[in-house]
Amino acid sequence: MSSPFDHLIITEGGEPVDEVELSLLETLDHVLNRGLVIAGEITISVADIDLVFLGLNVLLSSVETANEVLRKRAVDDERKSAVDETPHTQE
Amino acid sequence: MKLYAYCFTEDGDAPSESLTGIGGSQVRVLKAEGFSVLVSNFSADTVPVNRHNVLAHSAVIQRVLAHTTPLPLRFGALAGEEQLRNYVSAKHEALQEKFDSIRGCIEMNVKLISQGAEVVAEPHLPEPADKPGTAFLVQKKREILGSETRIAEAKRLTVWLEQHVGDLIKEASIEQGRTEKLILAASHLLERGVLEQYRARLKAAREERPELHFLVSGPWAPYSFANIELEFKSQFGVS
Repeated sequence: MSSPFDHLIITEGGEPVDEVELSLLETLDHVLNRGLVIAGEITISVADIDLVFLGLNVLLSSVETANEVLRKRAVDDERKSAVDETPHTQE
Repeated sequence: MKLYAYCFTEDGDAPSESLTGIGGSQVRVLKAEGFSVLVSNFSADTVPVNRHNVLAHSAVIQRVLAHTTPLPLRFGALAGEEQLRNYVSAKHEALQEKFDSIRGCIEMNVKLISQGAEVVAEPHLPEPADKPGTAFLVQKKREILGSETRIAEAKRLTVWLEQHVGDLIKEASIEQGRTEKLILAASHLLERGVLEQYRARLKAAREERPELHFLVSGPWAPYSFANIELEFKSQFGVS
């Protein structure tokens, strides 16, 4: 027999929401932005984050967090490739 | 081999059922000084944030929540076994205090979203003059006043929501005016036994303010009440 705690329920305007994306956004909001942090650094990679998350970014800061990480990563990648492309001079 | 950690439970509370975690790995229980840490083996150095992994992380914690109230870890916690044991040893007292505060509870989330201009009225300002400097200042003033108006409305709604569910909740974490549309995001910690009552109160509240859009989700593990911020308090006696 299932208990009310077996299933996550999201309601919008009082009606249960079946939309997978909304449920996913709420889940993202929780697992990426909240929860106990045991180490100084969270070791995540957002290279293959699904851009469908961006659809409702007005609601959830998890997307903002992900975007921020993506932006930083893009800047780091640009810097890295700029360094790689710099011709090395022989001494 | 690193371990991917999902959540803590009090000893003996970890579910006995077989759980599958990130990457299809079997979830197992690591016991340490009266606590259990649910972990699975993980071979890479970073955890990709994708739909599959996020849902796997959440699913393990939701399954545990069906049995007991876990202390959920944020997505992406990789550690060695010794590191986890050291953490439990160093934070034993804080972990115990945290479990004392969340035992038997669940988290519910309420987001109040503006559906139109009637909720947060924009301030009336004169139309910008032709001069670019004046137009810039008028626009800035409009932004600042708009933000203040939203915050004031969020404060009013916080009090109003508290009047409806305040006696049912143990703790609340409130975020006001996160975005122009999202006026209020409230996380409520409540005893499992009052969940249906809480939902009924929210339903009544919703009927009172039909102009607001309610997004309610839960029950969740107490993600918003999980962090331990006791380092300064416990070690140096200040917060």
